[in-house]
Amino acid sequence: MDEDMKTKIKNYRTAPFDARFPNQNQTRNCRQNYLDFYRCEKKLKSSGQDPYICKWYKLVFTSMCPTEWVKRWDDQRENGTFPGKI
Amino acid sequence: MAHQMHAFHMVNPSPWPLTGAVAALLMTSGLAMWFHFANTMIMYLGFTVLLLTMFQWWRDIVREATFQGHHTLIVQQGLRYGMILFITSEVFFFLGFFWAFYRASLAPLCELGESWPPTGILPLNPFEVPLLNTAVLLASGVTVTWAHHSIMNHNRKETTQALTLTIILGLYFTLLQAMEYYEAPFAIADGVYGSTFFVATGFHGLHVLIGSTFLIICLLRQVMYHFTSEHHFGFEAAAWYWHFVDVVWLFLYVSIYWWGS
Repeated sequence: MDEDMKTKIKNYRTAPFDARFPNQNQTRNCRQNYLDFYRCEKKLKSSGQDPYICKWYKLVFTSMCPTEWVKRWDDQRENGTFPGKI
Repeated sequence: MAHQMHAFHMVNPSPWPLTGAVAALLMTSGLAMWFHFANTMIMYLGFTVLLLTMFQWWRDIVREATFQGHHTLIVQQGLRYGMILFITSEVFFFLGFFWAFYRASLAPLCELGESWPPTGILPLNPFEVPLLNTAVLLASGVTVTWAHHSIMNHNRKETTQALTLTIILGLYFTLLQAMEYYEAPFAIADGVYGSTFFVATGFHGLHVLIGSTFLIICLLRQVMYHFTSEHHFGFEAAAWYWHFVDVVWLFLYVSIYWWGS
């Protein structure tokens, strides 16, 4: 499983179709992967595991999200005003 | 003078529709002036014209109806249709605010933390004052029905008592809502939660004030012996309107206060 993930990350080209977000508007896809990346990282780091496989989420949200949004959310996390649970 | 061979009311020219329109113009432009230039002059002028219009228009209609006998059965039928159409239009007015509320709350945006109430908003507890308000309005619906049955049964004393009680309950509701607004931990400018909450409940509150005014006019007319057991449409229209306001509150309570918290 872990090896599978590593190959997937290595061969990443762009975000694949995600059946949870079938609509043309992909805002929630972007948002979910942003949240998942930071949740994954937090979880694995806290249990002393290698957070490398979390990188998948980052690749996806970097493909999906406008950079402006990512910047805004990063700033919000830094200021403690991010409206979401990580 | 030629003898009138039909039962319809041939109305005389009246200035009140025009003064009412002037009042509406002054009040809306006065409101904009208040928002932009912090000057309430025009708004209060408009409100004064509105009060004068209301007083004189109502007085004229009371004269036509009660003292000149123009409100025959067929005329009353027209008044009924008019009131039904008016309340229907009011239903759609509130439907717009419920649409906005559900649009914002059923699939909350990322900016709100994808949750409703939005992240950081502390909503009011629906089982405290709002539940009391629900009980107060439901009770006022009962007392207005009691007043109606008392009118139809020639019971003058109980009509006055029940109508007074209905008005007191209406004013108590307004007082509780005013306190709730004052204590609310969120504001109209906080975001979509505050906007939808205060616009929907605020317009409802305005309608409670209008309904209370309508009932107060009925109480004054009741005291002045204007209503008979057979002819009291002014009262019935006020009761219909009051029930409408009551039903809107039930939807507000269930949607915005309860489900929305």
